[in-house]
Amino acid sequence: MPPPRGREGRDHRDHHWTPSEEEAPEKWDWNCPETRRLLEDAFFRDENYIRQGSEECQKFWTFFERLQRFQTLKTSKKEEKDPGSPKHHIPALADLPRTYDPRYRINLSILGPDTRGSRGPSSRLPPERISEFRRALLHYLDFGQKQAFGRLAKLQRERAALPIAQYGNRILQTLKEHQVVVVVAGDTGCGKSTQVPQYLLAAGFSHVACTQPRRIACISLAKRVGFESLSQYGSQVGYQIRFESTRSAATKIVFLTVGLLLRQIQREPSLPQYEVLIVDEVHERHLHNDFLLGVLRRLLPKRPDLKVILMSATINISLFSSYFGNAPVVQVPGRLFPITVVYQPQEAEPTTSKSEKLDPRPFLRVLEAIDNKYPPEERGDLLVFLSGMAEISIVLEAAQTYANHTQRWVVLPLHSALSVADQDKVFDVAPSGVRKCILSTNIAETSVTIDGIRFVVDSGKVKEMSYDPQAKLQRLQEFWISQASAEQRKGRAGRTGPGVCFRLYAESDYDSFAPYPVPEIRRVALDALVLQMKSMGVGDPRTFPFIEPPPPASLETAILYLRDQGALDSSEALTPIGSLLAQLPVDVVIGKMLILGSMFNLAEPVLTIAAALSVQSPFTRSAQNSLECAAARRPLESDQGDPFTLFNVFNAWVQVKSERSRNSRKWCRRRGVEEHRLYEMANLRRQFKELLEDHGLLAGVQAVTPGDSYSRLQQRRERRALHQLKRQHEESGGRRRKVLRLQEEPADFSSDEEHAGPAPRGAEDSVDIQDVKFKLRHNLEQLQAAASSAQDLTRDQLAMLKLVLGRGLYPQLAVPDAFNSGRKDSDQVFHTQAKQGAVLHPTCVFASNPEVLHAQEQEAAGPTGSRDDKDKMSSKHQLLTFVSLLETNKPYLVNCVRIPALQSLLLFSRSLDTNGDCSRLVADGWLELQLADSESAVQLLAASLRLRAHWESALDQQLSYQARRRQLEEEEEMTAVVSRKEVAALSRELLQFMTSKVPYSLRRLTGLEAQNLYVGPQTITAAPSLPGLFGSSTLSPHPTKGGYTVTDFLTYNCLTSDTDLYSDCLRTFWTCPHCGLHMPLTPLERIAHENTCPEAPQDLAPGTEEATPKPLQKASTLQRPYHCEACQKDFMFTPTELLRHRRQHV
Amino acid sequence: MASEAECCPLGVFKCQLCSVTAPYSYVGQKPPNTQAVVLLEESYVMKDPFTSGTDRFLVLGSRCSLCSRLVCVGPECSLFYSRRFCLPCVQDNISAFPREIQQDVEKRKGPKRPSSQPCP
Repeated sequence: MPPPRGREGRDHRDHHWTPSEEEAPEKWDWNCPETRRLLEDAFFRDENYIRQGSEECQKFWTFFERLQRFQTLKTSKKEEKDPGSPKHHIPALADLPRTYDPRYRINLSILGPDTRGSRGPSSRLPPERISEFRRALLHYLDFGQKQAFGRLAKLQRERAALPIAQYGNRILQTLKEHQVVVVVAGDTGCGKSTQVPQYLLAAGFSHVACTQPRRIACISLAKRVGFESLSQYGSQVGYQIRFESTRSAATKIVFLTVGLLLRQIQREPSLPQYEVLIVDEVHERHLHNDFLLGVLRRLLPKRPDLKVILMSATINISLFSSYFGNAPVVQVPGRLFPITVVYQPQEAEPTTSKSEKLDPRPFLRVLEAIDNKYPPEERGDLLVFLSGMAEISIVLEAAQTYANHTQRWVVLPLHSALSVADQDKVFDVAPSGVRKCILSTNIAETSVTIDGIRFVVDSGKVKEMSYDPQAKLQRLQEFWISQASAEQRKGRAGRTGPGVCFRLYAESDYDSFAPYPVPEIRRVALDALVLQMKSMGVGDPRTFPFIEPPPPASLETAILYLRDQGALDSSEALTPIGSLLAQLPVDVVIGKMLILGSMFNLAEPVLTIAAALSVQSPFTRSAQNSLECAAARRPLESDQGDPFTLFNVFNAWVQVKSERSRNSRKWCRRRGVEEHRLYEMANLRRQFKELLEDHGLLAGVQAVTPGDSYSRLQQRRERRALHQLKRQHEESGGRRRKVLRLQEEPADFSSDEEHAGPAPRGAEDSVDIQDVKFKLRHNLEQLQAAASSAQDLTRDQLAMLKLVLGRGLYPQLAVPDAFNSGRKDSDQVFHTQAKQGAVLHPTCVFASNPEVLHAQEQEAAGPTGSRDDKDKMSSKHQLLTFVSLLETNKPYLVNCVRIPALQSLLLFSRSLDTNGDCSRLVADGWLELQLADSESAVQLLAASLRLRAHWESALDQQLSYQARRRQLEEEEEMTAVVSRKEVAALSRELLQFMTSKVPYSLRRLTGLEAQNLYVGPQTITAAPSLPGLFGSSTLSPHPTKGGYTVTDFLTYNCLTSDTDLYSDCLRTFWTCPHCGLHMPLTPLERIAHENTCPEAPQDLAPGTEEATPKPLQKASTLQRPYHCEACQKDFMFTPTELLRHRRQHV
Repeated sequence: MASEAECCPLGVFKCQLCSVTAPYSYVGQKPPNTQAVVLLEESYVMKDPFTSGTDRFLVLGSRCSLCSRLVCVGPECSLFYSRRFCLPCVQDNISAFPREIQQDVEKRKGPKRPSSQPCP
């Protein structure tokens, strides 16, 4: 006997069943599984409206039970016969059924199994039960119809009630009259983002693009607009973001990110695929949005049929309107409830503790005030705007204590570094009588909208990243917000009802705020923008008609930087590497890494590392203090550097996924890893791979399909199952809001173990939708193959990988402070060229074991062993190369890799200066290397010159090959220009070079030393007449440094020195190991001889020889042909060279 | 595919009383892609926009059997009792309907009279 289900059913149940009991000897039970199965067999077949075993089927039975209870109530109440109305004279009314029956009110009918004969399974059921069931089914369908239509009608009512609904026609009309631009200025909540696209759709436009500054908004708007325009499951409305697209040929409105639209313009500058372009949120003044506006302004005259709608909050409207030739403005009021503003300036209170730390007391006072003034039954949550994460955790701690005491608050942090699950908590509901207190960064100002906020506390502060182009340093600084932001924050309190905004500053402060936030273009690095502008061919960035131009200095810095990186040439035109970099949606340095990596057949690991460095750190903050997490993570740490740790984490995760997929979530949690970031990495990695393949830098791998038909079938079946899971998830509406618990228990990592076993079937949460999407999107086998091959990277491969990273990241280098070995782990200090005293980020692998950076072991007990630490001779000095330098309270090096100092500097430095015997080298004007042995110094230097030339030419060939390949696409497979053999030879030499063991000292020059580094231009110089030295015979004096220019980066003998004035003249007897020549030579002459010695083994890579004659052919304009009588040879000489040559014969 | 073609809208249904509008993809008594259900009136039908199944349909409305006005199935505009009647016609002929319907119509009129004016 099943338990009674509800109140109404209890009394009448037995009574109702009496008649049936008379007929049937056994008690009729609708709940009997067998009965239900028979009915389902008969009515819920595959061709029926409801299918057996579906969710709908369950819903039906729930409905059925409720209907049964309802009907028993009714039937017991009234049995009186309807008197019947008189026959009507209108025929349509005349034959209405006299006796009322609810079934006459249903406009559908079910074709049942009995129409197809009575042999079905239903024949075993009594006919009156069948008709009872049939009637219930009818009611169920009718109920479903009513419900769905009700939703549709409600949707339309709500749309009609939006403030913008009154303006729909006016917007369309203005758009018709003004071919160019309409600015829709609407306040929060007026519905512009969702409605304007629909008005266009209704007006018959079918190629509409709507840009959004944020990916997340693209998805949610496409969902909402699809739902409202009743094509939630159709394809009219779609979105397109970096890794995902729901766009198809039938799509009429697409929501896409600004960056993506710019890329589309890059491909097709006239944007032929759209009729109307909506640019939303222009007031936010994002870098890309500002640039897009400029591009559009130029495009519009060329596309008179293209309509553009700008949408903005009512901020600085005239700026946009006048930028587009006084475009008409349609102003739409927002829908905000009245908000009371309370100014609560913080008195200069006696600061409790040390200095700058935030005082949480003013915030607590607001909590108290709310508790005192508003009864807990009156709902309404609190949103607190704080400047940053540190401030959030301070207030969180204090508010938590208060909440524990009063039991009236649930305190939740909200910032971008939180895990996605934790971020989602802010959308959950507090239990009754309890309010949410959300402590947020400015993320809740625009990006995240939380309903039910009634109170807002505005600290008036924001932390923003600013960029210091001189130091190449990002700085996170606290600023006062703008009036516009203050209004935006306030507005968050009035979305669902009247609200209160507490401003923790004075009204006079507010008046002195800047009216608008500083546009992004004025405060960030413009490298990527300039690169994109160059590749789109929009002309000189300096003269581009930006809506508000960026600071000229920051443009210049960006151009210079790109030139330094080799992306632009000296005339500021895009180089082949530059045009490739422009297409990679990543930092220039990471793009370079990808290109270099693919050249050295290291594409797979480099793809992973590049992806890892392009997403936020996957390590969660909360896990930082957990010993368990740290211990679980330790085996994945690499003492080579953070990128390698990330590399290991990703690979291990892929392994976990391919072995026992369901546990990857738990695996991540135990290690304090945010799995979402790993999914992002996988997506990014795939995109990089496709880009490299598209550009011919990576051979496209055919998807390996298993040969036999059985496994193919198996695979197809698996994919179908995954697709179904995804669909089910989408239909169930994703995440539901939960009720928060008053006291959040701390994340408990061990408790997961108990639930580990087999995942509970049927439970909704057991389907990890991210996992499903991941498996649909990626070829797990391929990923796994890459991951497992990564586990046995050879030492050589690892060294090459570091070289590639180092060259990509150059010049982001830091040198360990000379006294680090005597300092505590946490006090390790590093210096970059522009910034002294940088420290390691606490998550950095070297922060916990800095010993690996110390050069203390001196294997060759050098003669200088007793000297001061900073002049220590070692062959193992190391530098850190890092991805970014971030200054918060201290300058932090983020994502470091250790690399051998001397070799790296020789290979990467843009400027290398030497003394006479090359034993003293200065790299880029700030790092001094003192080599113990000048002979090996010169050798190394010569080798590095050779390798650099070779590397450069291989890279150029590779890039020009891919550029040519794109021009002549019909030529299917041009033989790869850079042959494998050549690359292998180059890598071998590079590796050999990297392992060379030469003791040297390393130090950062002081400012004074750096200033007085060079001898300066010399009037009389003893020209080294050394044909063959450094592979070139023509050395010209350096105009400013003095000494001689050997290559564009190497200047010989330009360093001032008091010790080695004559060293280059000192000859000692020497025997050539190859040809046996024995004579007194200077160190340079020795090298010159060795380089040209005919007996020397030809271990040089091919290409070097070809490169040698080149400098001779490259005639400078000053060179003239000269026939020397003395040596009977022809030369190309500049006048000075001529003189120098003649002097030889004197 | 086939189902995709079939749910292409034939036109836009608009209720002559409340102006609710929606694209319809079928008019008749046998909604496409469904075998087991028939409609008892000539109805304007669209694919149910709130579910993914292609066989799910939604009846938007039909013509009043008395005045032939095109009305939606919403309770403020029409009712079905063996055939479709728009509410104005029901009220004009209220006596022809059984008491249950009369009470029901009375109830609908009672508390709130939703706008029979077309929405903007």
